[in-house]
Amino acid sequence: MAKKILIIEDEPDILTYLTALLEDHGFHAFPIADQMAVADTVAAVQPDLILLDVMMPKRSGVSIYKELRSSPELKAIPVAIISGFSPEGNDMATGFSRMLPDEQIEAPSGFVDKPVDRQALITMARRLTAQPKDLT
Amino acid sequence: MAPPKELSLWLQDHLFNAVPMAIAVIDRQFDLIYANDAFERMFGQWQGRKCYHVYKGQNAKCSQCHGAKAFKEGKPAVNEEIGYNKEGRLTRYIKHTVPVTVGNGEIPYLIEMCTDITETEQIRREYQLLFDQVPCSVLIIDKAYRIVKTNERARKMLGDLEGLHCYSGLKGQDTKCKECTARQTFTDGRLHTGHHAWRTKKGQTLHLHVVTVPVRMANGSFDMVMEMAVDVTETLKLQDGLKFAHSFLETIIRTSVDGILAVDADGRVTICNPAARKFFAIRPDETLSNKELAGMLPEDFVKRVTTGPQHIYLPETVIVDAAGCQKPVRLAGHQLSIDERTIGAAFSIQDLSSIKKLEEEKLEAERLAAVGQTVAGLAHGVKNLTTALEGGMYMLSSGIEKGNLDRIQKGMAMLDRNTQRISMFVKAFLSFAKGREIRARLNDPAEIAREVIDMYAPKADELGIQLIFSLPEPIAPAAIDYESMHECLTNLVGNAIDACQVSINGGSWVTLRVHEKRGMIYYEVIDNGCGMDYEVKRKVFTTFFTTKGLGGTGLGLLMTKKIIQEHGGTIKLESQPEKGTTFRICLPRKRLPKVADPEKPQMQ
Repeated sequence: MAKKILIIEDEPDILTYLTALLEDHGFHAFPIADQMAVADTVAAVQPDLILLDVMMPKRSGVSIYKELRSSPELKAIPVAIISGFSPEGNDMATGFSRMLPDEQIEAPSGFVDKPVDRQALITMARRLTAQPKDLT
Repeated sequence: MAPPKELSLWLQDHLFNAVPMAIAVIDRQFDLIYANDAFERMFGQWQGRKCYHVYKGQNAKCSQCHGAKAFKEGKPAVNEEIGYNKEGRLTRYIKHTVPVTVGNGEIPYLIEMCTDITETEQIRREYQLLFDQVPCSVLIIDKAYRIVKTNERARKMLGDLEGLHCYSGLKGQDTKCKECTARQTFTDGRLHTGHHAWRTKKGQTLHLHVVTVPVRMANGSFDMVMEMAVDVTETLKLQDGLKFAHSFLETIIRTSVDGILAVDADGRVTICNPAARKFFAIRPDETLSNKELAGMLPEDFVKRVTTGPQHIYLPETVIVDAAGCQKPVRLAGHQLSIDERTIGAAFSIQDLSSIKKLEEEKLEAERLAAVGQTVAGLAHGVKNLTTALEGGMYMLSSGIEKGNLDRIQKGMAMLDRNTQRISMFVKAFLSFAKGREIRARLNDPAEIAREVIDMYAPKADELGIQLIFSLPEPIAPAAIDYESMHECLTNLVGNAIDACQVSINGGSWVTLRVHEKRGMIYYEVIDNGCGMDYEVKRKVFTTFFTTKGLGGTGLGLLMTKKIIQEHGGTIKLESQPEKGTTFRICLPRKRLPKVADPEKPQMQ
């Protein structure tokens, strides 16, 4: 059974692209453009991995990440940050952790920089969903 | 021995009336039976009157009658008496009473001789008063250095010292002083002065200025000196206080890092401390004329301080030094006056060059930080666009590979859309990067806001959003670049309307409020729209951040912030998700740009 990946991204074109890319590599992709009711969707879908954009209107990826990590039911689902946002040089992990200064929240499972290195994204998605091999 | 006959006759006929003493003869009934001219001059008409009536104005015998005593005892007597003269004035006189004894030892008459001492007594009393009340302590000291007499003032201050040795009574010593003004006077008979410390009866030490003079007899000899002492304790204290104040003031003026200057009532420069000399570039040996000073300070400043209000303070102004260089300073002028009389003016000058430099450096640092953030933001925008383009390419190529027409069409549309976005983005960025020079003119701050509201009114009306303009009171014109500020407010009000559109709340409104408080002009754009969460708030001003998807470039607020900074102001925001957002622009009047040259046309 295909592993489920939830993609949270405000750019419709990027959402279309990532959905097609992941589906082409045997994943079951769930594109989400609405950032407000994320937790409900995650709970309903029960994905194996979440790809999360940072800079979004209405609500940022950091805020969504905090919510996911503070929910006992959802905190086990791995989250990879996908963003063109690299605040401190090129190290997105450091930049992201600085946006979580006050809380003891564990770091995301992975980071994907935009523009996307397709092979790296697929490799990371397989590792994080523990999918053994390429089905295509 | 009898006098010559003619003399004897003269004495018999004239002596009685020639004697300057008042002489009267009374009988045993106390009737005045005879008196000389001097008596009549003193007591008036006497014929047929009783002695007590003439001397004292009484109708009965005196209770202590010296006459009766003399008749009884037959002895001469001398008494000091008080009576009334012919004008009715109180008169003091010495009366010598001599009984006239006849052959059988009887005393039928008394001769009474009176000397008027009213004036003498008056003088004596006045001297006593003077002696006691003269505003210094007076002591009479004899050759054995014993105090024989003191005045009342000395007794009050020093206690009763009469009979004591002066060195013991005044200083508590057993032996004479080494420096003794009394001894100097005893030695040479001249006036001497000196300073002494005496002990009061309360045990305090007083400092006195002492003068000693000889108390001479009629023949010029003397065996006593008068010592007059003035208490100078307070004066010495005041002198000390004055010395301290003077030294303190002088040190402060000399070492102050601020320039200190003073002019007298005629405008002459009386004080110009080293810091002021440095400011004005005046050499230590050069003097500064009042005309030169007036030329260095702002126009009419010296005149305004000396003639006008008591205090003038200019927080930021410019002086011109002797070399003609302009220097930014803080200047204060104070009128100096004693009671109502102006005696000159004092000025203090604080160098603002270093503060100005710091301010400029800070602005430059802020500008550089903004540039860095702009570049980071630009990178973010470019990355998103590139990703979308790559997405389009992927859809296209994978669609061709799979023979999936739908996917090919999607890919084509994505490429098309994002190419257009690149074009829009580049145009906006170029306009931002190019910017334009701020050219401030005196504008009505409220007018700019009103125009933005008018511009958005039809759109807000169409969307059912209430647009409110609030101006609590009129604001004086300020140096603002009209076009730029218009752009800022257009951005903010436009954002607020957008926030209301995506809000889940009904009854949306946007308020633009303009007001001034303590020299700060405020523009506030308040909406009850969708609001922002923490991370969005953090990034709104600093990157190419848009919450509007394809509809925005993310440059609006960045541009707004840049314009506000160029006006020396700040922009802050408060926002709560689903509650609304407030943007507050604050423009301190003193940091506003200089009004641009009105000759030059404003650049568009």
